[in-house]
Amino acid sequence: MKDKLQQIIDKAESELNSITTKPELLNAKSRIIGKKSELNSLMKNIKDVAPEDRREFGQLINEAKDYLQQLIDSRTQIIDELIYNEQVASSRIDLTMPGRRTVQGGLHPLTQIWREVEDTFLSMGFEIADGFDVEDEFHNFDALNTPKDHPSRNLADTFYVEDNILLRTQTSTVQIRTMENYQPPIRIIAPGRCYRNDKMDASHSPVFHQVEALVVDENISFADLKDTLNIFVQTMFGQNIKSRIRPHFFPFTEPSAEIDISCVSCGGSGCRICKNSGWLEMGGAGMVDPAVLESVGIDSEKYTGYAFGLGIDRITMLKYNIPDMRILFENDLRFLKQYR
Amino acid sequence: MKISYKWLKDYVNLDVDPKILEDHLTFAGIEVEAIEHIGEDLKQFIVAEVLSAQKIEGSDHLQVCMVNDGGEEPVQVVCGAPNCRTGLKVAFAPVGSIIGGEFKIKKAKLKGYASHGMICSAKELGISEDHDGIMELDTKASIGQDLASYLDFNDIVYDVEITPNRPDLLGIIGVARDLSALYHKELHLPQAKEWNTYDDVNDSLKLEIQNQDKCSRYLATVIKNVEVKESPDWLKKRLIAVELRPINNIVDITNFILMETGHPIHAFDYDKLAGKKIIVRDAFENESFPALNGEVYKLSQDDLVIADGDKAIGLAGVMGGANSEITLNTQNIVIESACFNYATVRRTSQRHKLFSDSSYRFERGLSSETPVFTKDRAIDLILDLAGGQLQQGSLDVYPNPDLAKIEVELRPARVELLLGAHIPLVEIKSYLKALGLELITESSEKIKYKIPHFRGDLLREIDLIEEIVRLHGYNNIPVKTSPQGIMNHKHFRLERKIKDLMVTAGLYEVINLTLFDPDNLNKLRLSEDDFRRRLVELKNPQSNVLRAMRTTLITNLLNCTEYNINRGNKDVRIFELNKIILNNSDKTTEERKSLTALLSGNRFDNYWKDKSTKCDFYDVKGIVEDLFTEVNLTISYTPSQEKFYTENHSLDIICKKLKIGSFGQIDPKIAKSFNIDTVELKQDVYILDIDLTQILEIMDFSKRDFQEINKFPNVYRDISFNVNSDIKVSDIISTIEVVNKAVVKNVSLMDEYKGKNIPKGKRSLMFSLTLNSENKTLTDKFTEQLMQKVIQSLEKNYNIEMR
Repeated sequence: MKDKLQQIIDKAESELNSITTKPELLNAKSRIIGKKSELNSLMKNIKDVAPEDRREFGQLINEAKDYLQQLIDSRTQIIDELIYNEQVASSRIDLTMPGRRTVQGGLHPLTQIWREVEDTFLSMGFEIADGFDVEDEFHNFDALNTPKDHPSRNLADTFYVEDNILLRTQTSTVQIRTMENYQPPIRIIAPGRCYRNDKMDASHSPVFHQVEALVVDENISFADLKDTLNIFVQTMFGQNIKSRIRPHFFPFTEPSAEIDISCVSCGGSGCRICKNSGWLEMGGAGMVDPAVLESVGIDSEKYTGYAFGLGIDRITMLKYNIPDMRILFENDLRFLKQYR
Repeated sequence: MKISYKWLKDYVNLDVDPKILEDHLTFAGIEVEAIEHIGEDLKQFIVAEVLSAQKIEGSDHLQVCMVNDGGEEPVQVVCGAPNCRTGLKVAFAPVGSIIGGEFKIKKAKLKGYASHGMICSAKELGISEDHDGIMELDTKASIGQDLASYLDFNDIVYDVEITPNRPDLLGIIGVARDLSALYHKELHLPQAKEWNTYDDVNDSLKLEIQNQDKCSRYLATVIKNVEVKESPDWLKKRLIAVELRPINNIVDITNFILMETGHPIHAFDYDKLAGKKIIVRDAFENESFPALNGEVYKLSQDDLVIADGDKAIGLAGVMGGANSEITLNTQNIVIESACFNYATVRRTSQRHKLFSDSSYRFERGLSSETPVFTKDRAIDLILDLAGGQLQQGSLDVYPNPDLAKIEVELRPARVELLLGAHIPLVEIKSYLKALGLELITESSEKIKYKIPHFRGDLLREIDLIEEIVRLHGYNNIPVKTSPQGIMNHKHFRLERKIKDLMVTAGLYEVINLTLFDPDNLNKLRLSEDDFRRRLVELKNPQSNVLRAMRTTLITNLLNCTEYNINRGNKDVRIFELNKIILNNSDKTTEERKSLTALLSGNRFDNYWKDKSTKCDFYDVKGIVEDLFTEVNLTISYTPSQEKFYTENHSLDIICKKLKIGSFGQIDPKIAKSFNIDTVELKQDVYILDIDLTQILEIMDFSKRDFQEINKFPNVYRDISFNVNSDIKVSDIISTIEVVNKAVVKNVSLMDEYKGKNIPKGKRSLMFSLTLNSENKTLTDKFTEQLMQKVIQSLEKNYNIEMR
């Protein structure tokens, strides 16, 4: 009897050791401990065993059955491990192949800078005002203290639509439009398109973009202008960039100034971009001329203000290191994709 | 904290409607969180008389009673209370009334007797703890009267939030004082009465403060031979209104004074004090203290206790001890009016997780001067309501009376500078006077005030300015505008959103000059009266190709496409959002924002795992659908009238009966006139052109309705059939939806197939239906029936063949 059981166990051991797949294992399981197994038929013989030996007989068979179950379980674990290793090995991939990019386009670099400019001023409590591209002479010149025969009307070559109607040469027109409709305090920027009769070249375009800032309130001073410019320049170009203003002439501001920033390329030591001066010209600024305030009916004794205008195209070219203005308007996808 | 309207009226003559007072309180900085109508519940109960009461056989306590509730017929009620008897006036709850907010009285049968209502105890009515039997009403009570008016329970209680800086508002008088200032009305404080006194208090009691840092003042008063009993109705009502439970007259009086003044006081049973002493001292480590709430606390050395000769009898400012509690047997009492350090009370309260109305107030910092008032008030009320003999004098330990004296200077000019509004000086002075501030000196620049002791929060000029503007009314300060509304936020957001959406859709933004060559318009086959012919032309153009303002962005995009294709970039997916400028008939110009997109070539950059596919009509249509979802507008389509699209490959977009744009395939001949050879390139050009200015006018960002998320699971069913190719998918979808609009939530096209195995002139379509009933889970049976109806309807309308 014990020999018989040992025989069954030995046979099962050698059979299990050669099994490597799940289906085979299931078959073997039914052969070893299933209903039709040798062990089971041995169990059926229990009625032939003498009653006093039955207990021991049953116990032996159960022990053998438990042991066989353990063998099968440990084989199952081995096979699971084999399957897992196989799975990992066969699913190796080439990790150097390119990943799937999301399908995305991109904003034009000008728009990206435009938004950055807007957001910077919005965070300083400015509102964004809008104006017309096609303007009248009053808003582009007369109200801006530039009467008909004033020499500065020649400063820019202006596109005319009618005798009195033109394409605005500066966003300063929005100053007038805003002050006509709102009383101080006024705190706006006006980004927009301007037109001057310049031939398209590396640094000129007949259509270009400016952002105008205008602040009118009680107690607004030249010092406020410098502060706002500093904050703006440092937000746009970094904490190390300085701004300075130097005397200049604009008919609609007094005192007037031109704005320079320290060269974003060399940091001020002098390079090709700043033509070795260490400074880059950014735009014009000044305290709003009392005549401008009076022309829109604002008490220039009570209120003062400052205004400045900056070139968005120029800021974009400086920030993105774009050498030629024409590239901005060619819309070459190879260019646009660089800045997506 | 709860504030009773009636109670407030004891101190200030309010003539505002309680509803308006709610607003005024909130805007004076006393935020009303809830408002409660006392007695509202009691209106359902009726004064009734027990006409007869007979024991029910087989029950040891039930009686069957006939009750007269003022109705035509007496009502039969079964009652279990032992004190229910013939002739008694009772509080009767008729069938349908609700007790305790949840228990609804119904017709019932007890021991075979029908019972039509209930006779209530005071506890059941929520007006006292008394549950010994049913409530016995006055014999003169008039039958049929509702209980609220019989008991005179009609008050309004405000649940207010008191900010931590205003402990003075933790009593009704404090709130009344603020209201008196707000309404410029006099504040009536109760005046102390004169009483006969008996033996010197020093003969009865000794008082010692060992820790003066933690107890800034302690006043002890002794009254002998008081009669402890139930409080009178007026007192109980006051307490019930603010959710305090009446106990006995002495305890009720201490609670009343706490609510009235915001300053807690306590009463000890004099006879339980060992050594007839009160010592304010630090607790011993692990000293045990049996509190009034039945718990015993192990104290720490940091706790401050009130002790007698041998034990702690009170946890200072937090809770009295059970060992010195006032009971119905108490004869002689000691009244404590004291002031404890707020931090000590707070730490003790936190340490033992023991929070009381008293600790809540002390931990916010109370005045050392108020105890004089509370002591006088206690004497008056106790002698009035409990009788007794006041011992002469009070024991008063008050080491640093000078700390309470604070003076603050106010510069009226500073008020105007800070508030940006001119408040007349008389008004300023009137507010401050009403708040209890005492004017000491006045010059044109400065007014000096002595701050009342109960306003420990007023230390600086700015504190006074806050009081002034609070009473003047925040709403009465004019608005100084800084942002003027110059900015068009809607326009700003719309433009950014749409540009972002186009980028997310895979398009690159291009920017072109506003000036263009109007000859291009001819290439687009625009009719002579097309609005895009309304040119604004330059008098002095730089060149012929830049001689007018552009009236469409389409020509620019086609030029960009040619430019890029010539440079080897055949997959062009671009958009521009910019101005077009039109000439009006009256010679003025009109500047509109236009969005134009162009797709041609591959839908996305080649990826090694995917087959590349070309952009088609449905790509553009998808962008249109995304875009109008983004701006939350419902649109419809009609065949496009534009001549530059290929026939039958374009749609106009209609919204609110207006054409707001179009999209479709550019006619290959027109593409060719822009040097884009679609045949040679094997790719078509698709355009989308939308008038953003119009969208801006009709859209509304804020309008987004919430839709309930369905609690029941969706059921999905697919249906697939052959149908004549000229039957439109949109028609099929609406036919399916109409079968059961309430349940068919969505029908989406899953597949279209033409060719092999499909008869010529037909196509195979597959739709997926999303079904959901908002109020139940759909059964298989219901779903099958619905699908059968769908099939029948499609067969009838479109002659479909199921697959």
